[in-house]
Amino acid sequence: MEIFLQQLINSLSVASVTILIGMGITLIFGLAGIVNFAQGEFLMVGGMITWALVMAGVNFFVAMVVAMLAVGLLGLTAERTLFRFTLTRPMNGFIMSIGLSVILQNVVIRTLNEVQKSITPPVTAVWTVGGVDIIAMRAIVVAITAVVVAVTYFGISRSRYGVALRASVADQDTAALMGIPVKRYVTGVFVYGSVLAGLGGALMIALFPITPFTGSVIIIRGFAVSLIGGLGNVGGAVVGGLILGLVDALAAQYGFPQWTDAYSLIVMIVILILRPQGLLGGTMGPRAT
Amino acid sequence: MKLAHMGVGLAMMGLAALTAGKAKAEDQELKIGVVAAESGSFVSAGNTIAAAAKLAAAKINDDGGIKVGDKTYKIKLYIRDNRTDVNVTIAAAQELVNDIGVSAIWGTETHDFSIAMAKITGPAKVLQFSGNSSLGSALNTTSVAPDGWLHYAFQTEPQEWQRSGSTARGVLALLTPLMKTKPVHSVVLVGNDATGQYLSSHYVKALEGDGQQVDLVKYPPDTTDFLPILTRIKGMHPDIVHFWYNGDSTLTAFPQAEQIHVAPAYFLFGVDPGIYEQRHLTASVPVTMSCVPECWGGPKRPDVDQYFAKYFGSGASKGPQSSVSLLYYDYFFMYAKALAEAGKVDDPDAVVNNLLKMSYQGVVSPVPLTFNSNHQVTFATEVCVVKPNTSDDFTCTTEQPPAAPPAGDPGG
Repeated sequence: MEIFLQQLINSLSVASVTILIGMGITLIFGLAGIVNFAQGEFLMVGGMITWALVMAGVNFFVAMVVAMLAVGLLGLTAERTLFRFTLTRPMNGFIMSIGLSVILQNVVIRTLNEVQKSITPPVTAVWTVGGVDIIAMRAIVVAITAVVVAVTYFGISRSRYGVALRASVADQDTAALMGIPVKRYVTGVFVYGSVLAGLGGALMIALFPITPFTGSVIIIRGFAVSLIGGLGNVGGAVVGGLILGLVDALAAQYGFPQWTDAYSLIVMIVILILRPQGLLGGTMGPRAT
Repeated sequence: MKLAHMGVGLAMMGLAALTAGKAKAEDQELKIGVVAAESGSFVSAGNTIAAAAKLAAAKINDDGGIKVGDKTYKIKLYIRDNRTDVNVTIAAAQELVNDIGVSAIWGTETHDFSIAMAKITGPAKVLQFSGNSSLGSALNTTSVAPDGWLHYAFQTEPQEWQRSGSTARGVLALLTPLMKTKPVHSVVLVGNDATGQYLSSHYVKALEGDGQQVDLVKYPPDTTDFLPILTRIKGMHPDIVHFWYNGDSTLTAFPQAEQIHVAPAYFLFGVDPGIYEQRHLTASVPVTMSCVPECWGGPKRPDVDQYFAKYFGSGASKGPQSSVSLLYYDYFFMYAKALAEAGKVDDPDAVVNNLLKMSYQGVVSPVPLTFNSNHQVTFATEVCVVKPNTSDDFTCTTEQPPAAPPAGDPGG
């Protein structure tokens, strides 16, 4: 029983970073209509910035905020100089984002080097409750993720901005006629998704070492989470992340551990066959207009 | 007067041209290729090849080059990034062999890639020095014979059963006196790829041969969050957890294991003591590491320390397995000596024969380097243990390889 509870706790922390990357993807993909395969590299850049600042003696939480802002700026630049020109041709944007991901990897390799980077966890305590180990830094990551999910959820579903954004997704032309600055909203969503990737990278390096190639690994899970939950659906990203986290933890304990990735992707495939719109429903994703 | 000046000027220009032509004629170029992962998942190991090759070539060139017959050759390196991709590796080997015309290739470190590369280097009679140990499964009397497809291939890393045997023995010898009870149950945690499967098959047999009951647990190669798998291993109550083969994955998994106290002792394969110290890693229990042939970090040894000072001074990254660079560095000098003894650069068969006859004393090991008749090198493994709660208090031992594979291990 202790082992089972331990794996449930593990699944929450496994899910957290995945939820952050998945949420960024689901917003950019589902609401802005941009398939950004470089979102994983945005996360990696956030982790690398955090690493560089912490190594320079900056407090981790300050470094985390700087990484979020820096990756947000990176997102703004990418959207204004690249993706804005592919809004009517999403496939062009998709291919462009693959190129961008390779460029970012190589820029980081040439700027820093290829060697794995790690920091001493800012919080090192481990609490043992009823035989279950709770690692403090992981608990902090779960808590931060929960706050970000709540803020994003209410921002999308309750605020004027969120309502206008969803109206633009439903019908861009009508939304524009109603005075909604659609392109500016697309930029806003892209930048916010990038900030989330920066946060994910900062939190990730507090838990694990990262390399210039970390982004290309995590991006697959990010897309899986956003598709499982439903594109553009923040709650869906959370549900998708939790499902993958749970599958990972239970597969590692009771199945063949080497197949954990395969189990997760099988779950995604089954869900997409049974519910193409995702578990909680969402938008249809990018459309050429 | 002007005409006289012009005449002197023209004469000097002619002399300069003649001198330059003579110098050019004397300093011939020896083209050597390097195929290594400078990006992709094997980048930590791959960069050690390129860095070691640059260092060795610079040293040879600075010392005047290689005297072969009545000519002196300066090494010109052609380094190609294989991106940890077998197709890129094949393309790079074809370019180096067919377009550039190199005399020898260093690399790759990626196990099955070097076999693919040998299919290109062999027919072209280009020497290939590959460090990876799985090449050993293909090197045999038939394949290295003068008409064999691996006649020009040399394995610069010991055969895996030898390395596994000396590593297992060293790990158990260092850990047993430090543990409350004699360790009898080991868990080997390994990445589920071709290399991991090949290497762990030998290591498990070596541990079993030393009396351990062994459970093998595999993980997807790109895993970052090891906590679920480590939780499972903790429930198996192992005496020692052996993190096997990929240094980057080991450096990711080990701190997570220590957070939840998975085992009373650990072994970290592919992690040099130097990187353990640099990362300020610690554990409340004894932790062992191993290196072939000599560790970066650990006890001070002038030759090895001097080498690593130069190696890092040349701009090489401090990676988890910087010691691997030694597997390539010394062989440049060994190859240069074989070329010099052959007396000409266009006789690869003579170079192969010279290498097989040679006993070369390099930085690598107190024992000179020699290739056996199957083109495989043999040398010891250094195993170190770090005192609990420290990052730099190492005790190391050198373990000679076993004389024969353990029961159930077919060798290779």
